[in-house]
Amino acid sequence: MASSDSSLELEPREPVPSGSAFRARATRRAAQTADAWRSDGAARWLFIWPAVLLILVLSIFPLVASVALSLGRLAFHQGGVDLKIIGFANYQQLLFGLERSHFLGVLKAPNPIGWAVVLATLALCAVAWTRAARGGRVRPIGLLLRLVGGLLLVGSVWVLVQALASDGGRPGALIVTLIFVFAGIVLQYALGLGLAMLLVQQVPWRRFFRIVFLIPLTITPVGVGYMFLMMTDTSKGPLEPIWVALGLRDFTWVTDPWLARLAVIIGDTWQWTPFVFIVLLAALESLDQEVREAALVDGAGRWQSFRHITLPAILPVTTTIILIRLIEGFKIIDMPNILLGGGPGTATQSLTLQAYIDWNTLNLGRSAAIAYLLLILVSVVATVYVSFVRRRVTDLA
Amino acid sequence: MSRYRMVAAAIIPILVLSACNSSASPSPSSAAPQASTPAATTQASAPAASASTVAASPGTKFKGISVNILTFNGPQVAEPLQRRAPDWEQLTGGHVNVVAVGFQTIYDKALLDASTGTNSFDAYVFDPQWMGDFTGPGYLLDLTDRVTNDPQLNWQDIGPFFRDFNATYNGKVYTIPLDGDFHMVYYRKDLLEKDGVKPPATWDDYLAVAQKYNGQDLNGDGQPDYGSCIAKKKGAQSYWWIISIAAGLLQGKGTNDGAFFDTSNMNPLFGPNEAITKALETYAKTKDFGPPDELNMDVGGSRGLFTTGRCALTMDWGDIGTLTPSTYAQDKTGATITPGWTQVLDRASGKLVACDATTCPNAVNGVNYAPFASFGGWSGAINAKAPKENQDAVYDFLSYMSSPAISGIDVTLGKTGYNPYRTSHFDNIQPWLDAGLSQPAAENYLGAIKSSLTNANMVLDLRIPLTKRYEQDVLDTAVSQYLAGELDAAGTEQAIADGWNAITEEVGKDKQLAAYVASLGVQR
Amino acid sequence: MRNPFGRRSATDLSPPAKLGAFVVLLVWAFVVLFPIYWLVVTSFKTPYVVDKGPFYIPFVDFQPTLDAWRYILVELGNDTLRPYLNTVIVGLSSSLIALVMGAAAAYALVRFTYRARVGIIGLGIGAGGLAVVAALLGAPPAIALLSALAVFAILAQTIGRRFQRAMGNSDIAFWLISQRILPPIAVAIPLYVLFQQIGLLDNILALVITYVAANLPIVVWLMRDYFASLPRELEESASVDGASIYRIVRSIVLPISVPGLVATFLIVLIFAWNEFLIALVLTSANAQTMPLQVAAQNATRGPQWWAMSVLILIMITPVVAMAVALERFITRGILVGALKG
Repeated sequence: MASSDSSLELEPREPVPSGSAFRARATRRAAQTADAWRSDGAARWLFIWPAVLLILVLSIFPLVASVALSLGRLAFHQGGVDLKIIGFANYQQLLFGLERSHFLGVLKAPNPIGWAVVLATLALCAVAWTRAARGGRVRPIGLLLRLVGGLLLVGSVWVLVQALASDGGRPGALIVTLIFVFAGIVLQYALGLGLAMLLVQQVPWRRFFRIVFLIPLTITPVGVGYMFLMMTDTSKGPLEPIWVALGLRDFTWVTDPWLARLAVIIGDTWQWTPFVFIVLLAALESLDQEVREAALVDGAGRWQSFRHITLPAILPVTTTIILIRLIEGFKIIDMPNILLGGGPGTATQSLTLQAYIDWNTLNLGRSAAIAYLLLILVSVVATVYVSFVRRRVTDLA
Repeated sequence: MSRYRMVAAAIIPILVLSACNSSASPSPSSAAPQASTPAATTQASAPAASASTVAASPGTKFKGISVNILTFNGPQVAEPLQRRAPDWEQLTGGHVNVVAVGFQTIYDKALLDASTGTNSFDAYVFDPQWMGDFTGPGYLLDLTDRVTNDPQLNWQDIGPFFRDFNATYNGKVYTIPLDGDFHMVYYRKDLLEKDGVKPPATWDDYLAVAQKYNGQDLNGDGQPDYGSCIAKKKGAQSYWWIISIAAGLLQGKGTNDGAFFDTSNMNPLFGPNEAITKALETYAKTKDFGPPDELNMDVGGSRGLFTTGRCALTMDWGDIGTLTPSTYAQDKTGATITPGWTQVLDRASGKLVACDATTCPNAVNGVNYAPFASFGGWSGAINAKAPKENQDAVYDFLSYMSSPAISGIDVTLGKTGYNPYRTSHFDNIQPWLDAGLSQPAAENYLGAIKSSLTNANMVLDLRIPLTKRYEQDVLDTAVSQYLAGELDAAGTEQAIADGWNAITEEVGKDKQLAAYVASLGVQR
Repeated sequence: MRNPFGRRSATDLSPPAKLGAFVVLLVWAFVVLFPIYWLVVTSFKTPYVVDKGPFYIPFVDFQPTLDAWRYILVELGNDTLRPYLNTVIVGLSSSLIALVMGAAAAYALVRFTYRARVGIIGLGIGAGGLAVVAALLGAPPAIALLSALAVFAILAQTIGRRFQRAMGNSDIAFWLISQRILPPIAVAIPLYVLFQQIGLLDNILALVITYVAANLPIVVWLMRDYFASLPRELEESASVDGASIYRIVRSIVLPISVPGLVATFLIVLIFAWNEFLIALVLTSANAQTMPLQVAAQNATRGPQWWAMSVLILIMITPVVAMAVALERFITRGILVGALKG
């Protein structure tokens, strides 16, 4: 991620002649000598406190208030609003009760493929854990954390399999959101990187492409939703002749759950690829050409040069942009809401959309509960991602 | 530690300032900050609650008063309010500020505004069905005295259903109707007459007619068209159609019978019983005769299909009548009361029984019709906590909008989104002709509306607290899951019943039962 | 005339490969531009024409009309202008403020070392929670806050000092970005209540404050990578020469960072320009912004495609214009030099 000094807390080892580890230690040494102008004075606080204070103030109250809301029920009466605390009833309803089929999904016994996936995951986790235990470099607390992590992973895969790879199972909002996020990120990154790679070549019209590719990002998400609704209308939209020519006049994608999900993913990708593209383009454009030229002279092929020089060089940027897209992606709401209302049935209902439906009928307690479960989920994913990435980045350095 | 003392020293003045501020703002009786400013220099004549006549000094009666009305940014619904506000200002000097927001959020904004004491709106032009949530906490002004003594409004001219059921809650009047909403079925008059087919009287007839015309080219463009177009999109307005289909099976004895719950024990009528099974199956069957993407179509789409001549049948509010001029469907459209059934539900057993004099006293030719006043019709309600001058002013404006002369024109225009609800709307056919309907089309359209309005078995939309959750959350989700094949009929019925019972338990069964009974005007 | 696809340098593609790349780029450009074209074309259609089916070329396929444009720009007039102005003001000001505050914080996070002690933080949050609970239970907010502050000050000096475990710079950065995890839905109503207590409802100031807070993490994360890549030697030599930190930032860091700042500004501007849910909840008559107008075109009786197209087009025009003007900064911008060495 960021290649600043204190972000990579490395243990001391032999110097490696490249990349961030080297620079990290060098800058740490430099930091000690030039400490004077940086560590004292009001600037230290003046620079950071406004931002931290503003965020703190504006986040604490909503955070506490939404926790309170999620643990209670609102009632309107003469003179104001009552919040009746009912404990975890909202959460219970979502995870085990009436709303479970909407939130988690319908969970049935897995089919053979499902079993295979679960057992494979279990095996992998077991192997990884024993390897870490035997390696001797991990502290007991680390082992315990890995054990918990492994159990969580297997448990999640078990739920996923019960919903997706089973007879009669159906994914709920949680799993649908996961599908949207991960499919979206893979597509957006692949497209963004591909486009950026193509555009760093000296092709004509580069400036035109750079501007044009930015346009989807500038449209308000609600607008993009409606635009796609227009585009994907198979009776009035512009793609109608193609649809008819393919002989699909009487068929529509809105009735099939997976096609509907695909439509949402396509819309989401169209909208967010520019974000990844722009950031990666900047990174690629600032790469040192000499290294690549030297590699080519030495006989390295294009693919090798890409894999061993370009890719590691843009790894920090990649990790940042994927983290941002991860966090933003979990909040997806406008595309499924406008395209399909969360339908057909509940096939494209994301977590935030479900919270929105509750919010719209002023069921604020359940809405807040969904938001909190989302918070927990994304925090776990983000933390795992960050620690995983940190280790990989230091391994590469 | 000095650092903390510094922080404390910085915060105290801020606290003091905010303390001063907060004691000033959220008191409900004071004028809300950025909203209407009741000028001190009002020259309003004697602010008597009743007997507010237009005859008082024109142009200055409400001079200096500015009122905020929250409504739906259609452009329909807001359009006539915005268009006529300057005229009213000319007459009375009062200024109207129409705050138009998206349909999904009117309810939230109004409730938030009232419940938090912000009171930035003086009136709401909204769905009277939501009255249950607004009258309980006392957010709406009681208008009973005003409406009965208002010559401009002409309360008696308003259709009895809208007067007695729609605008009233617990015996008191809370809203002024601006629009009459209920479903009707529209059909291609030219096609049916040519083939000697009668407009559908029951839902089985509807399916038969739809099947007959499905796949034929109905508008001469060489492409096969559809027998029936009914919008089924999730999260839109689709949950009202299923109620329309089921209503004839659920309610037989008149409006007080109710179509949502059993009035004796609050059991959901939308639950595991034969009526709902039949209704669901019929609803799903219409899919077979409709466009392939009907499942994602909302009412704008089905309307567009009908006006371009691609549907033989459709179900809609009154809008299609006024939307046909200048389209393919002009002079080819007929309207009829929503089809009924020849059976009705026996609530005790959950089974369907034949329609006879005891079970269906309102049946016509053996068919039990139950036209559903879905949504109720946009109506104006006044904020009980708004300043008195504002209340008087906005009441006068709403009364002006609803007056026979003004509303008589607005209901003929498709762009307003307002449909007829007054007797005078039917008696005077000229504005309809001016709007572009031919004489026979206007007579047919008005005839269908009249027969719906005068039917004593009209169904009132659900108006108890949390009605939105019953309909938009539970019913909409379950029905769309049924249509998508995620649930079968039994599962759907169970989901609806469980969901509704959960909400009822949350509020309290006795409270909801009392509210339901009161909303139906049932005497106990 | 030089062959546009000719090889320019050693690492460049061969001409056929370049042509292939160009074609692929053209395809994606088409994918991006076709929906925009469809918007433009739809904005010139009547409702009847939209319903009849896809018509592609004005004057050839269908008769264009200015009805939708006239409706939005003339008939609605002020109802379009006011949200438009609000969007411009709120977008520009919140992005600028977020940029300044966020860049300062980002710079601090890469150049200074922080140790935010968890004990103090926990106490702070606890005190805040105490204040909230007291306020909810009926105590006047000022008293609640004051007493919470007093409790915090006292406890901090005694117990807080005991817990030495601290959050480093990267932890602070992670905390910042984690603020974006909670969907706006969850915080919308509490924010409504918060601003109502302060009396800032339906006021663009409320929007500006909220957007600054919401977009600060993005600014910090993007600028952090950028600042970290700037060579320290310049700043260090300046400090050895006796310049204060403010001088260093003003005369050395800022001029070099203009590209990164501009790029981040553009991204954050887009986020603030297009935000929908918070604007929906916090505004009613006066402070409405454009995204609300777009969404409101969804009538209960069907979306008004033609009007919506007009609104979207006039919304994206300034942003695209700004992007065109600032585009050269973007590409050289965000992470120049981050990867050297």
